[in-house]
Amino acid sequence: MTPSTIVGVADLVREALDAYRDDPASVAALQGYARRLEEPLRIAVAGMVKAGKSTLLNAILGEEIAPTDTAECTRIVTWYRYGHTPKITLYPVTGEPRSLPVKRVDGRLVFVLGDATADDVARLDVEWPSPGLRDMTLIDTPGIASLSEDVAARSTSFLTPEDTPSEADAIIYLMRHMHASDLRFLESFKDTEAGRSGTVNALAVLSRADEVGAGRIDSLLSAADIAERYRRDHSLQKLALGVVPVAGLLAQSARTMRQSDFEALQLLAGMERTEREKLLLSADRFVRVAGPEGLTTAARTALLERYGLFGIRLSVVLIRNGFGEPTPLAHELARRSGLHPLLDLLGRQFQARAEALKARTALVGVDTLLRTSPREGTGALVAALERLQVNAHEFRELRLLATLRTTGTSLPPELASEAEGLIGGWGAASHVRLGLDADAGPEQLAAEARRYLEKWRAVSENPLTDRSALEVCRVVVRSCEGVVAECSHLAAQPA
Amino acid sequence: MADAGPVKPSTPLAEAQLAKLVEQGLELVGTGDRLDLRKRLDQTLRRLKDPSIRVIVVGEFKQGKSKLINALVNAPACPVDDDIATSVPTVVRYGETASAAILVPKEDSESTDEANIERRPVPIADLPSYVSERGNPGNTKKLVAGEVYLPRKLLTGGLTVIDSPGVGGLNSSHTLTTLTALPTADAMLLVSDASQEYTEPELRFLRQAMRITPSVVGVLSKTDLYPEWRRVEEIDRGHLAQVAQDIPLFSVSSDLRLEASRLQDAELNAESGFPGLITHIRDEIVGKAQRLQRRSVSQDVLSVTENLRLSLQSELEAFENPQNTPQMIAGLEMAKAEADELRKRSARWQITLNDGISDLIADMEYDLRDRLRRIQREAETAIDLGDPGPTWSEFSQWLEECAAAAISDTFVWTSERAQWLAAQVAEHFAEDEVTLPVLHVSDTGDALDPVDDMPTLDNGRVNPMQKVLIGMRGSYGGVLMFGLLTGIFGMALINPLSVGAGLLLGRKAYREDKEARLKRRQAEAKALVRRQLDDVTFQVGKQLKDRLRLVQRSTRDHFTEIAEVHHRSLADSVAAAQKAATMYALEKDVRIREIKAELKKVDTLARAAGAVAAEVAADAGRASRAAAPRGPEPPAGPARMAGLPKAVAAVG
Repeated sequence: MTPSTIVGVADLVREALDAYRDDPASVAALQGYARRLEEPLRIAVAGMVKAGKSTLLNAILGEEIAPTDTAECTRIVTWYRYGHTPKITLYPVTGEPRSLPVKRVDGRLVFVLGDATADDVARLDVEWPSPGLRDMTLIDTPGIASLSEDVAARSTSFLTPEDTPSEADAIIYLMRHMHASDLRFLESFKDTEAGRSGTVNALAVLSRADEVGAGRIDSLLSAADIAERYRRDHSLQKLALGVVPVAGLLAQSARTMRQSDFEALQLLAGMERTEREKLLLSADRFVRVAGPEGLTTAARTALLERYGLFGIRLSVVLIRNGFGEPTPLAHELARRSGLHPLLDLLGRQFQARAEALKARTALVGVDTLLRTSPREGTGALVAALERLQVNAHEFRELRLLATLRTTGTSLPPELASEAEGLIGGWGAASHVRLGLDADAGPEQLAAEARRYLEKWRAVSENPLTDRSALEVCRVVVRSCEGVVAECSHLAAQPA
Repeated sequence: MADAGPVKPSTPLAEAQLAKLVEQGLELVGTGDRLDLRKRLDQTLRRLKDPSIRVIVVGEFKQGKSKLINALVNAPACPVDDDIATSVPTVVRYGETASAAILVPKEDSESTDEANIERRPVPIADLPSYVSERGNPGNTKKLVAGEVYLPRKLLTGGLTVIDSPGVGGLNSSHTLTTLTALPTADAMLLVSDASQEYTEPELRFLRQAMRITPSVVGVLSKTDLYPEWRRVEEIDRGHLAQVAQDIPLFSVSSDLRLEASRLQDAELNAESGFPGLITHIRDEIVGKAQRLQRRSVSQDVLSVTENLRLSLQSELEAFENPQNTPQMIAGLEMAKAEADELRKRSARWQITLNDGISDLIADMEYDLRDRLRRIQREAETAIDLGDPGPTWSEFSQWLEECAAAAISDTFVWTSERAQWLAAQVAEHFAEDEVTLPVLHVSDTGDALDPVDDMPTLDNGRVNPMQKVLIGMRGSYGGVLMFGLLTGIFGMALINPLSVGAGLLLGRKAYREDKEARLKRRQAEAKALVRRQLDDVTFQVGKQLKDRLRLVQRSTRDHFTEIAEVHHRSLADSVAAAQKAATMYALEKDVRIREIKAELKKVDTLARAAGAVAAEVAADAGRASRAAAPRGPEPPAGPARMAGLPKAVAAVG
């Protein structure tokens, strides 16, 4: 994000505050936008009921704090943000926020609502000293297509409000299979904000990937195939920046593996093969049939709960193949669970353009305010807003990305896909844009960027290139120039 | 060969016994002139020889429907895949040897009637390439169904298991296909896996399906994978109880069952939960269907004996009490006149039926039109909001889905009303219990099939050449105009001024043309939507109307036949009584003896049939799962659409 844009947005919000100083509701909203610009990026975790939202959230944090259950569990929108000491605040629909006691059972939080029901609570705010929360605020939402319509409605109205920008700057959308409800929701999420600012800011996750192939060892490979199919699916492509398969439970447990877990898994791995296979035939058997010496029923139940049948099967195979220490095993499990690609994608798509996403939310908010309650003297504001929207290169990139993915352009396919990469479609970091490895040096990057720059200049100067394609070229050229400038700067610095 | 679990052979004894009963009846009717009775018994016999009990397996995709069937029959009958697997319904039924076939519509035939479907045998190993999403994505090969024949004891009773493509997924026309197949199904297995409780779309489908077939069994699959399946089971039971009383729920693991049959491990088999499900299918579903079958057979035989006895009895009466004959004849004549009334076109039941059907057709058309009009309005609003060109493919998909959803609502409602109407008609037949006609209207298959795909819309792109031409058209005038004007001042035709004017006018022309093109595309899109929905109204309306006419015809035939037989018997009795009065004494004795012998046979048969009927009634009483009696009120009027998904989503 160029500093000028973020400053421009902050200035705009300040000016708007000035113009609306006598309207307390607008002032509160605008102050909220101003604050949001300072805060970490807000990423909501959304999806159908039981898609594994809370589990994935725990996996991303590397800590089991969000409560999870077999029955529908999350009924209240819950925010997880960074704080030096654990603290839970309850925001009721009406009335003053109040503090809740921090109570944990087996590490997980228990929200003691007291006499309030889920309907009375607007949201819960959890402050937690987790390093993962330093640069993003995660929001756990109740499931869509829930049987209790109130719960589903709460999620939908939170994520896709009618007349204000969404509380979330971006979403991770979890789905088990691409269901009609999923697409409908993603479409409406895109509609609310992107309909106005024309961008895509959702990431799709094929969740519970370990269950795809009935818990077979190769389940994750099948899941990867399916994710690949979804990635190519036209209807999803325009709604999400990418699709990754993740085995949430495995990821969560791998990141929080305990010594006792490892010892139990080691015992299992030491069993005779046919015996072990019999034991691992079904979840019921695993708990009921007497296992190896030293593994109590309670321990087996706990293990099953934390890793699932698939996790246990995979761990045993890994241990037998030489992962004899807890740390490498945990790493390997986390790697296989698909969590790393997800974190990677999060970093590339969201963190790298956090400023732009936040600024965009603020702009949408100011825009809505200016449109719904215009007053005298806001004309200049409207003009400034428009200038920002049109000129800020980051927004143009996001907008172009959406166009490339939805309606397409008149560019030939190979050029279009190159353009998508260069404007940051696969990630905003320079080396990702250029399609190079992460360890490429600044000189190499600069050289590559210059090569692209020349190529795209040539395309834009070609008289046969039509107008809509020229727009694309302009944005791409500008992106290349940005990369060249950045890399030259980097290359010059150490010298 | 792996045996299909602890399955007892399904009562072939009872069947043979029934067949014998019917044959005895046929013998009694003999070669006499009562051809009508003979025909009826022949029909009964044919039904008995080829029983078919259809169980359809439905559920959202990826719930393990195909694997459930495979585990039921212990054979890889339906293809299973980690990604979406089934794209064409697969029918699994009994056959002496394992084989497979596909059903394809005959070429150059319009409708999908039974007669127009061709059965083509295929090697069983090749079946997946026809019915799976991988081999036949989205059923591009246009198959009606796949069929698998397996020599399994479970299937011998006529049990037919149908694997359906997943509903509720991306394609709501699958839901429609499944719903249209339901009226011909004897039961439905709703499969949902143990990873989570029922979701809202699943329960919505269940509620809709319950209105068509009340015989529903819940199946919770994949219990081997989820340690917490008992909790899910409990929660699901709660959900089911809210939909209807006593819908049974079985928790099973197909993997365990397949593993059990591989290892020949009875304990594992018990653990898989399948024995319970199989017992239920055998005792409740197959058993119930067989009970119905037995009841209808025994009733047929009973009614034939009644008819036979009537004329014999009256003849005998006339011989034995000649003085009462005129009185008796008068009584019979009166009954005959009444029966005659029932036969006539003007009979009250006929009027009820005809009126009912016309009302139903009118209501159905109104309902369909009303639903589609709403969609049309929404679509037009959406088109007005933006350029329909670039999003046309998504838009037409949305439109298709909405139309399919609307049609399935109309369909459910219509079939409910048709059943109710048949019951209304039956009320006119006061005499004992009249069997309701079995409305096995061949399922319409894809009601949407004859509707052509949405035509494509010009996506609004203009290639550079066209652009140049459009611009030229404008600039040509400009150049000429200004060139001539400046020519007055002695300048050349092409001079800086005229070129400038040409450029300006060219741009203006281009912009105007662009706007005009957008307007035209919007108008065109609206016309296409209207035409498409008109097509849908027309075709589906026709299909539904045909269906209702078929209902009308089969109902009428059914009741007319009853009336005919009744009338015929009365007429025979009158004739016999009259003839008896004019007979000589000697012949009389012989005839009386004959009649008595006949009557004895008839009575024996009636007693046997009566015994079967009583047995069935006792069975049913034991099972006591009789469906709730239908109220006299017609089903509530067309349920209006609760709300369409936002059309705006399709046209950004």
